[in-house]
Amino acid sequence: MAAPETRRGQAAPVLDPVQMAVVQSRLEGTVRAMIHTLLRSARSGILGVAKDFSCCILNAEDEVVASAGSIPIHVMQGPDMMARWMKRFHPDLRRGDAFLHNSPYHGNTHAADWSILVPVIDYEGVHRFTVLAKAHQGDCGNGEPTTYAINARDVYEEGALIWPCVKAQEHYRDNEDLVRTCQMRIRVPEQWWGDYLALVGSARIGERRLLELLDDLGADMLAAYGRQLFEESEQRMIEAIRWLPRARRTAVSTHDPFPRLPDGVPVRVSVDVDPDDGLITVDLRDNPDCLPVGINLSEAAARTAALIGVFNSVGNVAPIGQELKANAGSFRRVSVLVRENCCVGIPRHPHSVSAATTNLQDRVSNATMRCFSEMLDGVGLAEFGAPVPPSGAVISGTDPRTGKPFINQLQLAAAGGPGGPSTDGWLTAYSTGAAGMMYKDSVEIDEVKHPIRVLEQRILQDTAGDGRHRGAPSALVRIEAVDAAIEFMINSDGTVNHPRGVRGGHDGMPADQWVQQAGGGLRGVGAFHRETISPGDVMVSVSSSGGGYGPPWERAVADVVRDVEEGWLSRDRAMEVYGVVMNEHHRVDEIATHRLRQEIAEWGFPPAMAPTPPPASGVPGLPRLL
Amino acid sequence: MATDRPLRLAFDTGGTFTDLTIDGLGLYKSSTTPDDPVVGVMNVCDVAAADLGLTRRELLERASQVVYGTTRATNAVINANTAKTAMLLTTGHPDILLWREGGRIGTFDFTVQYPDPYIPRRFTYEIQERVGAAGEVVIPLDEAKTIETLQELKATGIEAVAVCFLWSILNPAHELRVGELIEEHLPGVPYTLSHVLNPSIREYRRASAAAIDASLKPLMGTFLHRLSERFAEEGFTGRVLVMTSAGGVLDNNSVAEAPIHTLASGPAAAPVAGRRFLGLDDLGDTAIVTDAGGTSFDVSLVRRGQIPWTRETKIGRSYYGPMTGFPSVDVKSVGAGGGSIAWLDGGILRVGPQSAGAVPGPACYGAGGTSATVTDACVALGYLEPSRFLNGAMPLHADLSREAIEREIAGPLGMGVEEAAAAILEVATERMINAIEDIAISQGVDPRDAVMISGGGSGGFYACAIARRLGCDQVIVPEAAAALSAVGAFISDLVADFAVTLPTSTDRFPNDEVNRVLAELGRTCEDFIAGPGSDSVEQTVSYSVEARYPQQIWDLEVPLGRSEFTEDDHIEELRQAFHGVHNEVLGIHDEGSAVETMTWRAKVRCELGTDLSGATALMAAPPEEPETREVYFSGSGFVDATIRTLASIRPDETLAGPAIIEGPATTVVVEPQATAKRLESGSLVIHPTGNA
Repeated sequence: MAAPETRRGQAAPVLDPVQMAVVQSRLEGTVRAMIHTLLRSARSGILGVAKDFSCCILNAEDEVVASAGSIPIHVMQGPDMMARWMKRFHPDLRRGDAFLHNSPYHGNTHAADWSILVPVIDYEGVHRFTVLAKAHQGDCGNGEPTTYAINARDVYEEGALIWPCVKAQEHYRDNEDLVRTCQMRIRVPEQWWGDYLALVGSARIGERRLLELLDDLGADMLAAYGRQLFEESEQRMIEAIRWLPRARRTAVSTHDPFPRLPDGVPVRVSVDVDPDDGLITVDLRDNPDCLPVGINLSEAAARTAALIGVFNSVGNVAPIGQELKANAGSFRRVSVLVRENCCVGIPRHPHSVSAATTNLQDRVSNATMRCFSEMLDGVGLAEFGAPVPPSGAVISGTDPRTGKPFINQLQLAAAGGPGGPSTDGWLTAYSTGAAGMMYKDSVEIDEVKHPIRVLEQRILQDTAGDGRHRGAPSALVRIEAVDAAIEFMINSDGTVNHPRGVRGGHDGMPADQWVQQAGGGLRGVGAFHRETISPGDVMVSVSSSGGGYGPPWERAVADVVRDVEEGWLSRDRAMEVYGVVMNEHHRVDEIATHRLRQEIAEWGFPPAMAPTPPPASGVPGLPRLL
Repeated sequence: MATDRPLRLAFDTGGTFTDLTIDGLGLYKSSTTPDDPVVGVMNVCDVAAADLGLTRRELLERASQVVYGTTRATNAVINANTAKTAMLLTTGHPDILLWREGGRIGTFDFTVQYPDPYIPRRFTYEIQERVGAAGEVVIPLDEAKTIETLQELKATGIEAVAVCFLWSILNPAHELRVGELIEEHLPGVPYTLSHVLNPSIREYRRASAAAIDASLKPLMGTFLHRLSERFAEEGFTGRVLVMTSAGGVLDNNSVAEAPIHTLASGPAAAPVAGRRFLGLDDLGDTAIVTDAGGTSFDVSLVRRGQIPWTRETKIGRSYYGPMTGFPSVDVKSVGAGGGSIAWLDGGILRVGPQSAGAVPGPACYGAGGTSATVTDACVALGYLEPSRFLNGAMPLHADLSREAIEREIAGPLGMGVEEAAAAILEVATERMINAIEDIAISQGVDPRDAVMISGGGSGGFYACAIARRLGCDQVIVPEAAAALSAVGAFISDLVADFAVTLPTSTDRFPNDEVNRVLAELGRTCEDFIAGPGSDSVEQTVSYSVEARYPQQIWDLEVPLGRSEFTEDDHIEELRQAFHGVHNEVLGIHDEGSAVETMTWRAKVRCELGTDLSGATALMAAPPEEPETREVYFSGSGFVDATIRTLASIRPDETLAGPAIIEGPATTVVVEPQATAKRLESGSLVIHPTGNA
C-alpha cells in the first residue's frame, strides 16, 4: 500500500488504481467473513444449506459499497432505504447498537427477510459505515406456516411480526424483551434463536473488521473509495448504454391466477433506452393498484426487480474487461418509475407484501428482460423458469423421530435459468431474484432434518425452452412423507403462464404438481395451495423450464448432438425442432441437416413439425417415471 | 558425501520444475517432463548425483527411502485426462454430479456456461436400491438388474467404476455387494465405493469423491507402479512413500488404492515444512505459510502447532470445478505469481489470473512475450539483477520489461515505468493478501499473531510487503524456501485418518456406545501402527469429533482430550470445548445449548525419524565486498540498496533495509524500513517495520 497514512486527513483524497483495488478487496473480504459466520453457524436449512441470505456494507451516505456473493433481490435497492430509516428512527447512534429491521414498508424486501443493521461508529464517535446482514427466516410468525403468505388480505392476516428498525442490542447486549417476544411468536423457537445468533454474529464480525479497516486506512480514504467507485461504475454504464439502439418496448408477463385472483395479474413493463444521454427508464406505473393478496411488491423489491431485468440484459454488451458493476453509481443511469399504491410499486400499508421476492418480482424482471431482447440480438434474456415449485416449498409438521416440530423452506431442484445471447440456461438459477447465487439442499441433510424421503430428483428430457441457446430443463422431484403428515405450502407460479422464449426461441415448460397417494393414484393439487400429505404420500413437483433465446435451428449442431448424447434432448426432437438429423449412434447427416434447417428457417416449421404448445399438465415421460 | 549412512530422497514434481532434496538439505532442480514425469525424476537424480560425485545408480543404491509428491493427478482432473469412468447411483438420483451444491459467481454474467458433470450423464447409471435415513433398507438391491448394467459397462468399454448410494454411510451393504459384483463381472476394472473412500454425509461430496478417485485409478495406479519399478531398476531397494493431501505420506501401494489423496498433495506438504521451520528457531506455534511459484501463490496455516484442514477441497474455480468431497490440508491458491500478467480493467489495474507461463514467459525472457508480468516489474524495480537470474544461467532483458510496462500500463495510466512496476507488484501482493485473509478468516487465525513463512522461488519479492500489510512482525525465509513442498515431503509422517459415524448429544450422551466407537477406532490405529507404521520411531493417536449445536447444519471438529468418557465432567468438558472452537472459528457461541456429535475420528501419525538438522550453507561462506544497487520502492523512489548473497550473511548478523539478498534459487527484498537477520538455523528473519 502506497503509504495511505500520508493521505489521511486531506480534504478529498484521490485513490489511484492500486489503492482502489486494495480497498475493494478489504471491503469484500469483510463481506466474505460475514457470510462465512452466517452460513456456518445457522440452524435452519434455508440459511445453513441454501444460503438464502446476503451481507453488505453501506457507506455513511447509505450507499452499498460491498456486497460480494449476495443475492441480488436482497441488496440492490433496499439496504439504502433501511439505513436511512435507521438514522431517522435513531438519530443518536452509539457503538454497541444493533437494529432488527424487517419492515417492507421501510425499505425491506418482505417480512421474512430479517435484517440486522449495525452502525459502525469510529473512535471519534462518527458513524462511518453500516453493516447489514439479511436472512430469510425459516418462520417469521405468519398466520399460516409459510414465509410466503400469498393469500393474505393484508399484513394483519399475514400475521408476520414486523420490526420497523427496532433496537435489538445496546452496548452489545441483547434486548431480552425482543428475544422473548420472538420465542412466543415464531414456530420452532430454538431454530429461530440459533439463526438469530448467527445473524447478529455476522453483523458484529463485519463491524469488528470495519473498525480495524478504519484504523488502518483512515475514514477519508474509505469515503473516497465509494465516490470513485460510483463515478467509474456510472461511466461504464453510460458506455454500455451507448451500444444499445434508441428504443421503447413494452412487454407483459402474467402471473398465474389463484383463488383470490382468478384472472391472474398481468404485469406491464415499458423500457426506454436513450443511448445519447446514457439513460434507461423502466416504467412500472401502468399496473394495477395494490391487491388484496400477499404478492404485492415492496418498494425495494419493485425497484430491484426492474434493476435485475436491466443488468441481466445489458450486462452482456459491455466490452470484456469493462463488466458492469451494479451499484449506486450505475443505478444513476437507470430510472425506475414506480407509483404509490401499485402492486408493483410502493405498497400502501396495510397491504401485504409477504411474497415480494418471488411471484410478481419475477414477472417484472422477466418482462424487463424481454423488452431488451426485442431491441437487439445480443442483449436481454429469455424468461427464467418461475419460482417456486413444491420442491422449494415451506414444509412443516412434527418429526416422529424426536417428537419436535419443524419448519423450513426446501431448496431441492427447482426452476432453471433462461437461454441468453451467449449461453444456455443456468441449471440452478432458481429465480430472477436469486440468480443462482443460492445453494441447493443435500438429500441426506434434508432427510435428517425432516421426516421426508426424497425418492427422485432428476432433469426431464425435452423440457428445455428450445433455442439457439436453450433454457435449463425442468426438474422432477418426488418427496415422500415418512411416518408423519407433512404440510406443504405451495406457491408455484408458471403452471399456467409458462416462461417465454425470445427472438424466436421457444417457450419453456409449465410447472405442475401432484400428490401420489400411498394407495396408488395421482391427484393434481393447486399451485397456490396448503396441502397436508399423509404418511406414505408423495408430493410430486415439476419445475418450469427456462425459455430459449434465438431460433433453435441456429443452435450449433455440436451442441445439439451433445444434448442428445447426454440425454437432455431426444433424437426426435433434435430433428423436429433443431433440424439436426442423426442416426442412432449420434452421427449427424450433414446434408439432410443443412437442407432441413434451411427449410425450417425459410418456411417455418412444417405443420407436422410445429412445436406443440406445452401441455397444461403432464410432462413427457412422467407417467413412465411414476 | 563423506559418510555411507543411508540417504532419504524427497521429490516434488511441480508444473515447471521437479525438485529433489536429499536429507532435507541439498536441493536440486530439473525441468518437469509432463509426458512422462518419471523421466524428470531420473534427470534430477542425475543432477544431484553429479553434484555429489556419484552415479545415478550409486545415489539410489544408497537411498533407503523415497518420498514422492506430484501434481499429476491434479492436472489429470483439470485437463479431463482421466479414465472413462461410470457412475452408479441410487435409483431416482442420476443427477447428483450435475446439480452439485448450487452457487454461482458473477450475478449478472450470463456468459459462463453451466459446468459439465464430472462424469457425463451417458456414463451414469441408476441402480435399483435405496437405504433410508436410519440405515433401513427401503428398496432391496436388485442384483439381476445390476449385473445387466455391469454387462453394459463392459460393452461400453468403461475403465473404472464409481459407486455412491444414498445413506451408504449408515448401511454399506448395497455398495459392498455391488463391489463384489463388479469384481465378478468386470474383473480387473478398478472401482471406488463412496462409503469406503469418504464416509461422510452429503451425497454430492461423497459421489464426487468416488467419481474422481475411480477416474484416477487406472492412470495413477500404473504411474506409481512404474515409478517404483524404475527406482528398483536403478538399484533402489527401499520404501517408496507418496505425499497425500492430508500433509502426510502413505505407502505407494495404498495410495494407488485411493489416488484421490494425491490431489493437491504438493501444496499440502508446505505447512509441514513450515511447522518444522517454526520449531527450528522456536518461533511460536502459529504461522502463515506461503509458497510463491510462477503461476500460483499457495497459502496454508499452522495454528497452535496444528495444520488446519478443510472439508471442501475444490479442484479449479469455486462452484465450477468439482469438489473432492474430501478433507485435506487447507490450502488457498490464487493465480498470482511471477508470470501473472498486468492489465487494465477500465481504470483499475489488475494482475493475473492469466499467466505468461514458461513459454513465452515474461517479456524479460526475450522469448516473444509482450505482456507486462510481475517478474518484469521486479526487473524494472531493480529487485532482480538480470545477469544473475537462475545463477546466471538465463540472462534477462531489462529493456524488454520496461517496454512492456510502459506500453501496457504506465503509458495508459500516465505514470512512470517504476511507479507502474511498483503498482503491479502492489496489486499482485494485494491478491496474495486476499488469499491469506480468506484462509485466515475461515480458520480463525489473526495474521498479527502469526509468523509468516515465505517459500517458493519468487516469495522473497513479496514477503516483506505482505507481512507489513498484514501486521505480521516476523517473516521467516528458510534456506530451502525454494522447495518448501519437497522439504515438507521429506519430513512428513505416515498419517492415516479413520472415522465412525455415531450421532449423539451432550444432553443424552451414551457413554458406552461412544466408548465402544472410540475403542474400535483405537484398535484400527493400532493395526496401522503394527502394519505400515512398524518401522516408525514414534506414534501418536489423536481423537476428535465433528460436533454442532442442535439443528445446526455444519459441524466443527473438536479435538478430544480423551479416548474414554466415564464421568459427567467429561461430557461437560466436551461441551465447553465445542463452545471454544465455535467462538474461535465463527466469533459467537451459544452458552446454554447442548452439543450434538456426529462423526468420531481418530488420526494416527507415525514419525519416520526424518528431521532437519540445520543449516548447510552456513558452513563455508566466502566473505564478500558489500555492493549497492539502485532499487525503487514505492514511497521512497530510487534508493541505494545493499546487495548481499545469502551465503555471506553470518548467523546473528543483522542487515538494515533497503537491501536485496540473493540466494541460489530465490531473491529476498528487504524494504527500506525493515531489517533482516540470519538465524542459527540458516533461515532469514525479516522484521517488516524494523522493530525487532
